[in-house]
Amino acid sequence: MIRRFYSTFDPKYKFKCGLEIHTQLKTKYKLFSLSPTSFNSTPNSKVSYFDLGLPGTQPKLNPEALLLGLKLSVALDCKINDFCQFDRKHYFYIDQPSGYQLTQHFHALSNDGYLTLNSKFDGVDKTINIEQIQLEQDTGKSNYLEYDKKINLDYNRANIPLVELITKPDFEDLQQIKAFLKKYQTLVKYLDICTGDLETGAIRVDVNVSVNGGNRVEIKNLGSTSEIQDAVNFEYKRQVDELKKGNVIEQETRGWKNNETVKLRSKENAIDYRYFPDPEIPKVHFDEHIHEEVKAILPKLPDQLLEELTVNYKLELKHARFLIDNLNLLDFYYQVIDQIQDVKMVNNWIFHELLGGLNKLDVEVSELSISPETFSSLMKKVINNEIILNNAKKVLSKSIEDPNLSIDNYIEENNMGVKKVGDEEVKTICQGIITNNMETVEKIKNGNKNSINFLLGLAMKQTQGQIKSSVFLNKFKQLLEL
Amino acid sequence: MLKRVLSRSYTTIDRWNSIITTIESTGGKYKYVAKDNILHKGLTTCASEILSNFESPYDATVIELLNKDMDLIGKANLDQFGMGSATANTIYGTVINPLFEDDDYITGGSSGGSAAAVAANLCDFSLGTDTGGSVRSPASNCGLYGYKPSYGRISRWGVIPYAQSLDTVGIITREMNVMKEVFTILDQYDDKDPTSMPQDIRDKVAKAVEVRNRERNGKYVFGIPEEIIVEELTDEVKYKLSLVIEKLLDLGHTVVPVSVPSIKKSISTYYAIATSEASSNFSRLDGIRYGKDHNFEGGDETIRGNRSKGFGEVVRKRIVLGNYSISADSGDFYSRAVEVRQQISKEFNEIFYLPHQMTNPDGLFEDPSKVDFLVTPATINKPLKISDYIKMEENSMDELTNDILSLPMSLGGLPAVSVPIKDKGLDISTQGIQISGQYGDDYSVLDMGDKIIKEMNM
Repeated sequence: MIRRFYSTFDPKYKFKCGLEIHTQLKTKYKLFSLSPTSFNSTPNSKVSYFDLGLPGTQPKLNPEALLLGLKLSVALDCKINDFCQFDRKHYFYIDQPSGYQLTQHFHALSNDGYLTLNSKFDGVDKTINIEQIQLEQDTGKSNYLEYDKKINLDYNRANIPLVELITKPDFEDLQQIKAFLKKYQTLVKYLDICTGDLETGAIRVDVNVSVNGGNRVEIKNLGSTSEIQDAVNFEYKRQVDELKKGNVIEQETRGWKNNETVKLRSKENAIDYRYFPDPEIPKVHFDEHIHEEVKAILPKLPDQLLEELTVNYKLELKHARFLIDNLNLLDFYYQVIDQIQDVKMVNNWIFHELLGGLNKLDVEVSELSISPETFSSLMKKVINNEIILNNAKKVLSKSIEDPNLSIDNYIEENNMGVKKVGDEEVKTICQGIITNNMETVEKIKNGNKNSINFLLGLAMKQTQGQIKSSVFLNKFKQLLEL
Repeated sequence: MLKRVLSRSYTTIDRWNSIITTIESTGGKYKYVAKDNILHKGLTTCASEILSNFESPYDATVIELLNKDMDLIGKANLDQFGMGSATANTIYGTVINPLFEDDDYITGGSSGGSAAAVAANLCDFSLGTDTGGSVRSPASNCGLYGYKPSYGRISRWGVIPYAQSLDTVGIITREMNVMKEVFTILDQYDDKDPTSMPQDIRDKVAKAVEVRNRERNGKYVFGIPEEIIVEELTDEVKYKLSLVIEKLLDLGHTVVPVSVPSIKKSISTYYAIATSEASSNFSRLDGIRYGKDHNFEGGDETIRGNRSKGFGEVVRKRIVLGNYSISADSGDFYSRAVEVRQQISKEFNEIFYLPHQMTNPDGLFEDPSKVDFLVTPATINKPLKISDYIKMEENSMDELTNDILSLPMSLGGLPAVSVPIKDKGLDISTQGIQISGQYGDDYSVLDMGDKIIKEMNM
């Protein structure tokens, strides 16, 4: 799909693109008030007087949002500024309760970072430079009810903290855009900064497209990766067509509607946002060591982790990626590895037995509730020949269904463990089977050695897997003098 | 007295148009009214059409603090959103000055209702707001004490902002002891107000003032800024100023001329900053979530329509002016004004003996010839007759005149109190004297105002 789009870019018409990405921060409270953030609540149930823009209310900066912004800045190697401040961006709209948005226009949180894409993990080699990272407020939501001729306003989203990230116009093709977005989503999700979803609006993307160094055209409010691809592709073709006709591309803002970009406003009637510093929110000054201090609390970043998981833990790249996208499982994985040194066995158990079991029972990975201790102890039982593999799988499946299950009791109650049995008892069982299956014994003695498996099967069935097959095998061989 | 009003779409309860909403008395040491841009749970209108039906769901911090001991009995008339200097820009009718019997005179503004209610003995004190003289001016014109605290001393949570980098909540009283009592209750750090003076600064100020007072040993240095001795001052107020100077010298204090050159730029600087912030603050008033809605169709039409109908003429003018100041075409008008403001603050710091505890907390008491207080008139004019005021208004662009006397203290964030000194041959004061001091030195400013009046009236 990408290749098809990519191939349509005509080398005579050089494509250039930059992104502006709005990312909803996963904070407990809103940016300037103590109302809880929420994403699926009853409309207008999570709003404070400040969020509604009531007169006489005042903003109070939530330090958690600042910390998440700093983490992202450091993860993207941005330079944290000596100080940042909040500015008012004015425009009238029904879902904008104050008539302005608090954002960072004059002095942003950080500038001049980068994210490097590499062919090993991202399928393409390219460095995308980050121009700026700024904190700002989200707006409320307005829903037009066509039939009732009404507009419903929900202010739950108003004042939720956002980070706006602005890249340099470094993208040369769609593959780079797609790879960057994927890497960015993984990063913010991994750092627990954002849920990372485009579809729910937690991440929203505007793109700037220009051709052959002409004026840039901004396309606003793209809701999914495929919309971004389609819009960029459409806009590139549109601009190339215009250029072929000898027309000049105007600097303008466009939207994406019915599979084409449509003009929203030109540079001439652009809104004058009348930016000015908020008169009461204090400037935030940063200590000169802020960069190192934030770095010290950051975990290993995804690329480093991928390297480690694929090399040291011999995981397939797709499995390593899966762990990074599912942090509870990564944590689980580390705890199991701590107990069981055999990485191949752990990888196999987690990606086949555990995930297979979850899949079968239709349980989300995020809802994984079996403890790593239980899981490890079950694996240890297999290693120590206390249970055979088939029975262990059954126990695992039961534990996924019932996380409070005591596996020891369960194995005991259902006689699923390998029994420590005396040689006499084994001998009695084997002798009994031999006596009742003389025909098979004859076959074996006449050279059909594989037929011993039939006897073995009978022994296993009779003892329900409580005794290892190798024990029976040895005894049969002994009795039949093979 | 024949009761006349300029315009009246709503009613007040008293013949001076001072109280626009009455609140049931619940008892308390003193009765008070609050300017109607200070929120209490109930109707809070800012004397505007757009908030004429606005029921606040919460109390301002100042109301919360006072209501433990004091008795809120009503909300006071004002110039719409605090914009004006005569309390004539109001849907409740121009406030009438209770001092005069012969005709209707203005009170000054914008806290004219708060001043008139106290002057008419309807209550013991009142709260006003002072952005550029709005408490000091009506107190001066109504023969009262009018105090504007240092910026950040009294919480602004729940006070509808005009220009929040300048706004303060002020107090108006007939008696200085009531003033001090009320101020002591309100002088609290408030976590909800991001501009509230932090507790450590309050402590530093208190310590620095103690050191200064010890060193001065009762004899202070008073400065008269030469830039404020303007031609327009009335003979009356010049005479009062000379009386005060004489008295101060008699008492062994020193009085010196000082110069704060940038004071001359106060008016243009003030209006650039105040209108910019106001136009931005009032953007939220659109009649959608609260306030008066005129049932227009469509989102943009609703916002445009409600705002056009909801604001009075003066407010509309200032919104336009402010929007220009922060527009891309203005050439950074706002930030240049902020720079001048910083210059004014710097010049103030150069003349005061007490170091500014926010910007220079480790400053030393170096030059004892520097001043402790400034003494200036509080208002240039005596109150005008309402009929004359209307004629004057018709001939001027806006009532931007007054206030080179009050704006510098607002721009510097300094504490200032207007105190009443009886007019020549009369038993009332229609033009007060203003005592101001360094940022944070509020208690000294109030004490000094108190002492001067006691000495003068002996």
